[in-house]
Amino acid sequence: MDVRALSRPATQLLKTTTRQPLLLPLTTSRGHKTTARTKRSLKIAPHDSFLPNRSQPFPAADQIIYNPPASEASPEHTPFIFLPPNDPRREAIQRMRLSSPEALGSVAGASAVGNDEDLPPAMSYPRRRAQYNLTEDDMAEMRRLRNEDPLTWSTAALARKFKCSPIIVSIAAPAPDQHKKWLKEKEERRRERWGPIKTQAREDRGRRAEMLYRGEI
Amino acid sequence: MKGIRPSRWGGQLLHARPGSATIPRRNFLASTVRCQSTVQAPAEDLIDQIPEEGETLPRKLPSPLPERALQSAKLAALHSRLSLSKKIPLQALARALVTPSADPNSSFNNANLAFLGSTIINYHVAEYITCKWPRLPMAIHYEALRAYSGPESLAQISRRWGVEAAAAPGEEVDPGLLQWTSNPSALVGTRWGGYVRAETDRKHSFYRRGISSRVILDNDFGDAVDAGSVTHQHHQDTSFSSFVQAVVGAIYSHSGREAAKDFVESHILSRQVDLSSLFHFQLPTRELAMLCAREGFEPPLARLESETGRHSRTPVYVVGIYSGKEKLGEGNAPSLDFARRKACMNALKSWYLYSPGNKVRVPSDMMEEGAKPWKAPHIDIGEVI
Repeated sequence: MDVRALSRPATQLLKTTTRQPLLLPLTTSRGHKTTARTKRSLKIAPHDSFLPNRSQPFPAADQIIYNPPASEASPEHTPFIFLPPNDPRREAIQRMRLSSPEALGSVAGASAVGNDEDLPPAMSYPRRRAQYNLTEDDMAEMRRLRNEDPLTWSTAALARKFKCSPIIVSIAAPAPDQHKKWLKEKEERRRERWGPIKTQAREDRGRRAEMLYRGEI
Repeated sequence: MKGIRPSRWGGQLLHARPGSATIPRRNFLASTVRCQSTVQAPAEDLIDQIPEEGETLPRKLPSPLPERALQSAKLAALHSRLSLSKKIPLQALARALVTPSADPNSSFNNANLAFLGSTIINYHVAEYITCKWPRLPMAIHYEALRAYSGPESLAQISRRWGVEAAAAPGEEVDPGLLQWTSNPSALVGTRWGGYVRAETDRKHSFYRRGISSRVILDNDFGDAVDAGSVTHQHHQDTSFSSFVQAVVGAIYSHSGREAAKDFVESHILSRQVDLSSLFHFQLPTRELAMLCAREGFEPPLARLESETGRHSRTPVYVVGIYSGKEKLGEGNAPSLDFARRKACMNALKSWYLYSPGNKVRVPSDMMEEGAKPWKAPHIDIGEVI
């Protein structure tokens, strides 16, 4: 009995090391069984920016601790390129950028220094990339195909064939009215199959988007 | 600038459609039974809709007599509470408290003073908004104008001045109380500005009510002039706001332009409005792309600045919108898509809410003596979409 109790953790430890390399340090995850111990373990020192300057001896000069909480940038701070050419702030920011390029990194509206690598990673999402690769003949061909067989030559298929965006296809070669009506009916049939939970969830999604656009969330 | 259109005044009187700006015509045959002041001789063209009983004074006038204003403690208190000049008599203040719904006689109600005051208030507010936020879209401009000088705001101001309404208007009530009734038949002549649209008669109007037609056809706040559907609350707000407008009109006529401007600045323009809460976007990402294309900036690109808890129930993403290396805006939300749209909205708001500073010069500053030469302010070319 005693031997088993001692040997179990050791074997488990061996098992984990064999299965995958142990990256995390071996820390216990047991909770603190009393309030006093929990409080003591959660007590961490405040950040340096909250502490007064102790480099000087005790009767030091008065000091202001400025440490605002993280918050959204106010829309009343106009970014640099949105300033009109005759605004005095434009010259001031330019002067500041020339004098101390690295100090400005975090100032709202005064970023844009350094290289492309210093910027955060770009997100991947569908966005406009104008190519201007379509000719008049392409457009006519696109329209012909769409009218011939709108089921095969859908917007996505035409966009793939002509190497353009689906929006261009929907503008240049709109589907015949009959096909649009059929698609609409198909979509309605699909929606009718939804149960109450899914319908509610879709409604809530639309409502959330509306609230977002009104700036309520 | 929308507030004042002197060119429109003439046209408005010429082609007044039914229901719009209907000022009660004076009946030249009727004679008056009361006079505005003891000095003034009774004029021929002042009318009263009161049945005369022979030569005696009728039993009941629609509003208190002007000479009773000197005995009212409420009026004196209101006069000194507003720090009005001694040049403005108590009788003028008493007249400002009589709305056309209580007393249809335009020689004794505040209709004329309120019209004068509303043009002055709307002019000063409109020039202030245009110079302070030169890039506001017209719809937001209208709402900002309404927030400063709309009937609801002016009613709030008059209540904060301590104006109370009389239970029912009449000759016997204290002249320091606001006289109004919510009788719908007494609404004639309380609205001015704008035209009744031709399509209001038709039941199912399919006409688009665009912003340009709102500028041309509708009233000072871009609302359609509609004869019907006036609620009790709206009528109350209009009555209370007409007092504020009439006070400004009285200050203008007794103390002059400068005093009226100071009064408007200290009582109406001193209020704070959060304009960023007025926006309602439709397609913020597209609007921002159009803006960058119009202004010749690089197309906007969303960059993920920081994130936490991607696989948790409550993640937070902070997304920044960049044009080239310049940051335009930042937004945080629990999903990547919402964060991007929010960042676009913040960038657009910071474009529209550009302000040259807190101390902007407005055109009416040039009327002061010894004003510095006028420097044209920056006014944007127009809306993006």
